Amino acid sequence: MNDVIIIGGGPAGSTMGSYLSMAGIDNIILEGAIFPRPHVGESMVTSSTRVFEEIGFLPVMEREGFIHKYGASWHAPGGKEFAIEFAEFPQEGIRQDYTYHVDRSKFDLLLLKHAESLGSKVYQGVHVIRVLFNEDGKAIGVKVMLGGKEVDLHAKMVVDASGRNTLLGNQLKIKKKDPIFNQYAVHAWYKNVDRGTPPTDDFIHIYFLTVERGWVWQIPINDEITSVGVVAEKDVFKNARLDYEAYFNHHCQINPDLARAMQNAVRINDFKSEGDYSYSLENFVGDGYIMIGDAARFVDPIFSSGVSIALYSAKYGSERIRYALEANDFSAEALRPYEVKIREGVAIWYEFIRLYYKLLPLFTHFISSKKHRIEVLRLLQGDVFDRGEVPVLDAMRKYIETVEKSENHILKQNLTAIPID
Amino acid sequence: MSTSNILLDYIKKELAVGSKRNIQMDDDLLSAGIIDSLGVLQLVAFIEEQFNIQMPDEDVVLENFQSVNSLASYLDNFQKA
Repeated sequence: MNDVIIIGGGPAGSTMGSYLSMAGIDNIILEGAIFPRPHVGESMVTSSTRVFEEIGFLPVMEREGFIHKYGASWHAPGGKEFAIEFAEFPQEGIRQDYTYHVDRSKFDLLLLKHAESLGSKVYQGVHVIRVLFNEDGKAIGVKVMLGGKEVDLHAKMVVDASGRNTLLGNQLKIKKKDPIFNQYAVHAWYKNVDRGTPPTDDFIHIYFLTVERGWVWQIPINDEITSVGVVAEKDVFKNARLDYEAYFNHHCQINPDLARAMQNAVRINDFKSEGDYSYSLENFVGDGYIMIGDAARFVDPIFSSGVSIALYSAKYGSERIRYALEANDFSAEALRPYEVKIREGVAIWYEFIRLYYKLLPLFTHFISSKKHRIEVLRLLQGDVFDRGEVPVLDAMRKYIETVEKSENHILKQNLTAIPID
Repeated sequence: MSTSNILLDYIKKELAVGSKRNIQMDDDLLSAGIIDSLGVLQLVAFIEEQFNIQMPDEDVVLENFQSVNSLASYLDNFQKA
């Protein structure tokens, strides 16, 4: 019998495979697609570097020439720009003051190949139909489609890394839509985007829009290609009653800096859309299984947190699986510490995102402020695990409460309907 | 330089948008669209640095930011207190 079956060969699954293989635990990665395949989520945060280094993948990132991301820049609708550089807050144990922008089809393939080189058995084009459970409710393997036939594969542990498909979450009916966020993204790749001038031209650029929770990403993919995506409340898209092209172009005109950047831009692939944005599963672990990455939880991508969460959930999940194998205990209780750790970390991202959307000017105010800048930067780099209290989030919450209470506060008109309690 | 001149100088140089550069001490900064809410927060950061004070969040209200003069008198009172 296999030790571990991993469903999905994206960054979460490949990183899980890498860690397990390094620990001498045999594992199989089942990927439904044949890589390379396109994927959204092209920008990272610096905390990812730690995981790349641990699994020996950092030299690959450098060799392949992915664009170095040294910082982030925000453009207010009125034409003001605010930038941060990662170098201002060096993270312990991370020697690079940059992270990466990636072509996900290439990045995901390289990472999957890396897991394979470390010992994971990788099968692409294998569709997992469902996770198998015994009569006690313990996961015992998966049912897959092979050569037109249904075949059962057994393992001591099943890892769901199926991404936004949330295979196990759907099967168990434990996927919960986020009560607040229902964002919708329309995105494509462009040539001839004017990314600005050094040193910020290779940063991620976020352009604020004057529609509900609206913003646009500009992510450099290589020297020629730039990824651009319009994100807003789903209702904004629905009510616009426009096709992708018209909707996209209309929103690019809202922010003057963005309009300038897109002046000569030429689209080079089809528009893609992403809906049902944020969700969480009721449990991330059960008897004989864990969920990692997007298969467990997805939060709004405004701060490029997705890949980092996938990598860290693979790291912490693999540690827990190692203990489970050593103790021969695959119960939900034995796996629970993984869930607690990931929930706490992602809760910090979520709270940061929620406060951000609650009062947009506050974010730029805090990154301009001497007192708060470094702590905000720390969050933006993905330093969210094992944190405990995060005083800067308390300070943001307190400020918002003050605005709500003060009769004539200047920012009162900027408050959105998002609940903060 | 007086408090009001320091403020006026900064607003003219850093915050005023486009054609609205000819600002008087009593001009209504907000309703005339001379500065927006982001500009107000930038002004708060400048004030805290320049005068070495911590401006309470609840004081970022319309009456204190109405004009250069009203902001200057708020600050003069604040520093005396």
